[in-house]
Amino acid sequence: MIETIGAKSIEMSFDLGRFGRFLWKSLLASLRSCINPRTYPLVWDQMHIIGVRSVPVVMITGAFVGMILAVEAYDQLAGMGLEEHLGVLINISVVKELGPVLAAVMLAGRVGGALTAELGTMNVTEQIDAVKSMGTDPIRYLVAPRVLGCVLLTPFLIIYADLMGVVGGAFVSLEEFGINSSGYWSFSASGVEFWDVSIGVIKGFFFGGAIAIISCYKGFTCREGAEGVGRACTEAFVASFISILALNFALAIISKAIYNTLWPIKIML
Amino acid sequence: MIENNKSKQDSEKEGGEIIVVKNLSKKFGSNVVLDNISLGIEKGKTTVIIGPSGCGKTVLIKHLIVLLRPSSGEVYYKGVRIDNLPDDKLNKVRTNFGFLFQGGALFDSLSVAENIKFPVKQHYKVTERSGLDELVKTKLSLVGLEGYQDYYPAKLSGGQKKRVALARAIALNPEVILYDEPTTGLDPIRSDVINELILKLRQGLGPTSIIVTHDMTSAYKIADRIIMLYEGKIIADGDASHIRNHPHPVVQQFINGRIGEDDLAVLRASGTIFQTQYLPRDFEK
Ligand SMILES: Nc1ncnc2c1ncn2[C@@H]1O[C@H](COP(=O)(O)OP(=O)(O)OP(=O)(O)O)[C@@H](O)[C@H]1O
Ligand SMILES: [Mg+2]
Repeated sequence: MIETIGAKSIEMSFDLGRFGRFLWKSLLASLRSCINPRTYPLVWDQMHIIGVRSVPVVMITGAFVGMILAVEAYDQLAGMGLEEHLGVLINISVVKELGPVLAAVMLAGRVGGALTAELGTMNVTEQIDAVKSMGTDPIRYLVAPRVLGCVLLTPFLIIYADLMGVVGGAFVSLEEFGINSSGYWSFSASGVEFWDVSIGVIKGFFFGGAIAIISCYKGFTCREGAEGVGRACTEAFVASFISILALNFALAIISKAIYNTLWPIKIML
Repeated sequence: MIENNKSKQDSEKEGGEIIVVKNLSKKFGSNVVLDNISLGIEKGKTTVIIGPSGCGKTVLIKHLIVLLRPSSGEVYYKGVRIDNLPDDKLNKVRTNFGFLFQGGALFDSLSVAENIKFPVKQHYKVTERSGLDELVKTKLSLVGLEGYQDYYPAKLSGGQKKRVALARAIALNPEVILYDEPTTGLDPIRSDVINELILKLRQGLGPTSIIVTHDMTSAYKIADRIIMLYEGKIIADGDASHIRNHPHPVVQQFINGRIGEDDLAVLRASGTIFQTQYLPRDFEK
């Protein structure tokens, strides 16, 4: 019993160390790729694969988030006669938290799964070894373009999710519940600051990087066979999901600290 | 660096051994695959490695370009120790090698032509596209697949993939070519074409070739030297006639393609119909 726990924890810390090295190498390689025009076509390809095909799912996710917030929150606020405040509540939740997180979770499933499956298959069919055997660093050739693609595109996809969330929320509030639209929008405008929107979008860089690096790592280390690839995909999704939530928490705390130092007066008001 | 140069000169004096393996062992968990192997490969010669399936031939040649790191022991290329080099330095060394993988390992997201161009594009700034196309054409015609430039690997047969992979392995005219079972999965005539190709490549730039194979006909035809691996050790090492007349029973069984007496006894003792074997009539009501 104790032995197995010990063996498991040794294995886990070993795995963590390997992931740390992979993370470091991937970040270095991605930064280097930024200044190497020869990798731009590869990044461009990945952006196409990652981005264009993810737009619809991300937009649908955003719209439903906005709509459901309106449905659930309306009764509470209307009871107090505060229904025009619904705009602030919906829009701030969407742009700051739910839009970014849910868009990222969608991407972890759609893009992360595809990345792990692709690289995992390349791994078990020795294609990654083949890249190495020809004197090319597989992290530079395979991982860096995918990381850059995800990092650059996730913020844009979040903007799409935000927009659709705002539209969805407004649609339900104004059309369905008949809230006064000028009140709705003016409360929204005063409650949602540019800062809130930018925090949400900035989160996208981190979420995108986390999804890409975790998924690539799982692909690179996956076990032999179709079962190995399948399991790697599942593990990649779970790990990405948890790290998105953890990163979101950490970024919320950090952004709050920054906000408070920049505008200390505002909290007192 | 100075030390490296010195050992380089030493090794070239010692009869031009381009690759030297010293006391190489490899374990996967508790599974000892290679057990204290020492080996020198002479420059410009064709060395064939034979041995039963699963004896570690692939593992051995992967160590020669450090796709696997040894559990213990050392690997030298031109007198420089390479098994402990960091990845970026290894990548420089690896450009001198061509590696034909047992399963081909073609990139399935790239067409045949792009696969063959891959190593060239990675290491040279190509300004002339037509030159590159010309190169692809020459390499493909060498392996008898001219006109297949725009195919994707998924649409090729196993043997065709192998040949494209061979074309890719020789794209940079490497100094050392490692072939992992180049003729497995090819019909006898194609196999012979590959044998002739290996012989032909030797006359040109004179690369050092190391070939893993089960195919004794091709081994005798192309080898300057044959090494037999068995249970992680080298049990025979010499030219074709040395191997033909080798006293070790395992070597004789292998080269004649015959099952050992012990295994045969087990098989005979088990009878012809197994107790657990069912026939269709057993399921009839
Ligand atoms: N990555 C690995 N992890 C664990 N074990 C491995 C790995 N690669 C090879 N082995 C083990 O090493 C042994 C030798 O494998 P290897 O592929 O070298 O055989 P081989 O001689 O090339 O056989 P074949 O002729 O069938 O290709 C096998 O028992 C295999 O299980
Ligand atoms: Mg093999």
